[in-house]
Formats: sequence, structure tokens, C-alpha cells
Amino acid sequence: MADPPPRASAHGQGRTVQIDVPALARVEGEGALRLRIRDGEIEELALRIYEPPRLFEKALEGRSYEEVPDMVARICGICPVAYQISAVNALENAFGVEVDPWVQTMRRVLYCGEWIESHCLHIHLLAAPDYFGYESAIAMSREHPEVVRRGLRLQGLGNDLIRLLGGRSVHPVSVRVGGFHRAPETADVVAMRRRLQDALSDSEALVRWTAAIAVPSDRQNFVSVALRHDQEYPIHQGYIGADDGLAVGPEDFERQFSEHQLVHSTALASQYRGAGYLVGPLARLNLNRERLPAPLQGLIGEVGPSFPSSNMFNSMFVRAIEVHFAIAEANRLLEHYAPPRAPAVGVTPCASIGYGCSEAPRGLLWHRYRTDAQGRILAARIVPPTSQNQARIEEDLRLSLLSFGLEHSDEDLRLHCEKVIRNYDPCISCATHFLRLTTERL
Amino acid sequence: MIVLRIIGIGSPSGDDQAGWLVARELQRMRLIERLPCRTSIIALDRPGVGLLQHLTGVDLLVLVDAMRSGAPPGTIHRIENLQCIEPDRSVSSHGMGVASALELGRALGALPPSVIVYAIECDSMMADSGPTGLVVAAASALAGTIARDLQQKFAVSACPGLAS
Repeated sequence: MADPPPRASAHGQGRTVQIDVPALARVEGEGALRLRIRDGEIEELALRIYEPPRLFEKALEGRSYEEVPDMVARICGICPVAYQISAVNALENAFGVEVDPWVQTMRRVLYCGEWIESHCLHIHLLAAPDYFGYESAIAMSREHPEVVRRGLRLQGLGNDLIRLLGGRSVHPVSVRVGGFHRAPETADVVAMRRRLQDALSDSEALVRWTAAIAVPSDRQNFVSVALRHDQEYPIHQGYIGADDGLAVGPEDFERQFSEHQLVHSTALASQYRGAGYLVGPLARLNLNRERLPAPLQGLIGEVGPSFPSSNMFNSMFVRAIEVHFAIAEANRLLEHYAPPRAPAVGVTPCASIGYGCSEAPRGLLWHRYRTDAQGRILAARIVPPTSQNQARIEEDLRLSLLSFGLEHSDEDLRLHCEKVIRNYDPCISCATHFLRLTTERL
Repeated sequence: MIVLRIIGIGSPSGDDQAGWLVARELQRMRLIERLPCRTSIIALDRPGVGLLQHLTGVDLLVLVDAMRSGAPPGTIHRIENLQCIEPDRSVSSHGMGVASALELGRALGALPPSVIVYAIECDSMMADSGPTGLVVAAASALAGTIARDLQQKFAVSACPGLAS
């Protein structure tokens, strides 16, 4: 889309900058940003998000619980596994289903594939070009093809890991309430382990490469919210934690986190104790760094910033850390792989309410379902990471722009806003250059 | 032996299935058995940047996708000069378009030596609906054209049921 020419008038000292992000077509989660600056002060800043999950909540009503995993996978083309795992966690909670350790392990492996794929795409296609001054990943590829090739190799590995467990990489089809529809063949797992082991040098190089990228120092106060777990770095299960000491189960989410409608957005914005909060990779690492393997903690200590971090610009580094972790974790979990006698346990539906969550690449993803005696969905509620981060993004934009300096050119302000928004990797950050800038000088 | 890959790109949304229809028709024609090269025919669901994974070691790529250019629905486009395709600007982690993926492939030196892109002008792209009759007919015709072109390229005499 072409940016319209800036509109300007030269009357007086005051300067009004208005940045509008138009609604985007053909992306999951359409959004817009409106920013108005008058006389060196931010007069208006509003992030508008037009999200489809609410429609999915209604579409799920009346459907059998068996249809839910495949339906919710359609909400997002880049993190279908997250929607599937949160859904089966909630429905298994509703029906009192205890899946066996094999299922839990394979769900974690499947989810590792999604983290690898999603994070690598974000780092190489969206975030990194910002820091090197390229207008796009394509432009960066022309001068640094080896970096992008490495990223795409890792991304492809993530896709193939999803395919191994999920049957296919886009909208995987093997996840079901109670387990999986099928188990992978041992020979395929052995071949995948070889690839995972080979990829560890690439992912460590990625960590070192992102650590060497200079990022702005922009520290802000915010509450990090993420799943926590007593034994593992949380991915597919856990309880909800915050860095103020919160520790509650998924069933208490609605008592701790409120959603409210914003005038300027069709999405609901979440609050925790009356304020915005952060979910996503940085929040996860802030809360769970001691759950990472010791060698990885050592690598962070050697090359990375110190954690917990209050600088959102460290998010790209954290994504690289999680890629490296997910590859090593999948390799570890598949080491003693053996096909199970059955890839799923039996499920007896009942009238109930169930809650479930998991850590999508972009952060905490929470589901609640109410079912009838046959397991049909009577009501569904899905709270995705993007809407949880909405208030935090707005606050970050406000603080970051003030820290960056409102005296910068409109183009620089636009690019800085894009960079700030992309740290959260929300669906609306899809376009590489998505800000439409109009300027008024009063 | 030359490695030929035919890729039909699509999604379950109405006429966006055009690429899949062509791939399916070429499989039905058993084209693979008729050409003196290592041929594979695959259908992909919005592969985004993942398209590049399928191009390794390929000498000749035939790509079929749906298109909206304003031409009448069912119109078949053939594009041999990829420079004519303008990459869409909405490069994203959620959905890199085919044009951008090809552009990225070119920047990385990852494109096959020969690439031919066919596109079928689509009409309705309603989610979970079937393709329109015009596009189904165009897909069938395009499959025939591709089969004939490849036969000609590799100098294979037409066989009954191949390019019909």
C-alpha cells in the first residue's frame, strides 16, 4: 500500500503528528493504530484491533467436543498448535480426562515445532530487518543471504516437526481430546532427531547473532504474566504466574484478569489489577529462566542481557533463546521414543465446564468451554495473547515515543512505532510497513 | 535426469482451490508416468515462505495458483518472467504471498533455473465453499495445457488420456 503524502501547514510552533495504521486485509487479526501528537505531547494513542476469535467462540456453540481441535486450529495460521493444545487442555479438564505421559510428551514436542517455526519467521522476516535498516527481509536477503538461509532452515525444521506429530504443518489434524489420532513411526522420529541434533549449531549461532544486535535501551515498568511449572520451562501446560507472586490455576484466570471493550477496537483488552500486562517470550523468560537447562542459562549469561529484563527490545533475543531451547528439548524428549499401544485415552463427555491454557509463541492463550452431557459446546471463551497485550502495547508506544523523541521526523516515528509493535509479534504486526502517516502542523 | 516439480497452491476457500484442482487433474492424468524426467506433483496450502523448502534440487518448477487481476473469472495467465510479478507488501509471519516467497527465493539464489507460473483468475473466495464452475473448467483446461506443454518440451508423443 502506498503512503499518502504528508499533509502539513506551517502556522505556529505547534506540531500535530497523526499516524494511522489502516485496517489490513488478508491477515489474521486486522488492526490499526491512531497517534496524534500536539505541541510535544501525545494527545491521542489508540490501537484498534479487529479480531476474529470472538466469531469463533459463537461458531463453536453446538459443535461436538471432537470437532473443537480442528476448528480452533483455523483461528490462526501461524499458531494452530497453541489453539489446539489450549482447547484439549480445557476439554480434558471439563471431562476429567487424564492423558498419559506419552501424550503429554508428544504434545510438548509438537508445540516445540510451532515455537521454532513461528519465532524463526518473526526474527528473520519481521524483526531483524528493522535493526539493520532494511525495508524488508527480501532486501536483507540480498546482502545477508546466509543469515536468512539459516533462519529458513530452522523454520523449515519447525514445520517438519509439526508435520511429524500433526500430520501436516498448516492446520495440523492429529490432535484430539484424549491424545492424538496417530503416532509417528519410529524411523521418522529417528530421522528427525538427527536433524534436530544437526540444527543445534545453527540455533546457537542464531542466539549469538541476535545477542550482537544493538537494540535501544528502553526500560519500562510492567508486570510479566506467563505459565509456570515446577519442573519444566512452560510450553503446553502449567499454572498462571506473574512476577508479583501470582500463582493460580487456569480456572482462576477470570478472577484475576478482566477484559473490557475499548471504544476504538472490536477486540477486548485485558487488565490485571487495573493495568495492562505483558505476555509472550520476554514475560516467559522473566518468570522461568531458572527452568532452562544449565548450559542455556550459561549461554545467556555469556552473551545476553541480564534477566529479568524490562526492555521489550530484548524480545528478539529471547525468541532466539526459545528456538535453541525448543530444538534441544524436542531432541531430548524424542530420545527414547517408542510408539504407544494407543495414541489416545478414552473420553467420556459430560455436562461440565473446563479451563485450559498453554504458551502460544506470542504468549498465554486461555480457553474455557461449557458442555452438555453429550459433549456439545454450549459456550466458549478464548482469550488470545494479542488482546492481553493490547493495553501494554499502547502504554509501550506512549513511553517509547517519548523516550525516542517526538521531534524525530514523521517517517522515523512511523518506523519506531512499527518496531515497538513488532516486539510483541501481534497479528497486526504482519505487514512489514503498515503505518500510514499523515502530518498536520498547526 | 531433470527434476520437474509441479506445485498447486491453494486454500479451502472457494476458487482459491484452483491450484489444487490443477494438481489433482495432472495426477489423475498420470502425467508423472509419461515424462522422461523425475517428476513430482504436490498441492500446498498457503505455504508462505515454506514454499522455498520445496524448491531444493528442482530444475524446472511449474507453479499454479489463483489470481485476482481484474480479468474475467476463469482466465488463465502464464508468467515466465518473474520480474513481472510484484511482491505484495504484506510480508508477514502469518502469510507471505507466493510472489514475495519467489522474490525471497531469488534474493537467496534458491530458485530453480526454470520457473513457469500459471494463474487462474478466481471469483469467489468464500471460506469453506466450493470452487465456481468457471474455475473448475479453467483448471481442467490448464491441466491439459500444462501436460501438452511438458510433453512438447520433453518431446514425448501424446498418449491417450494424457492431455485430454
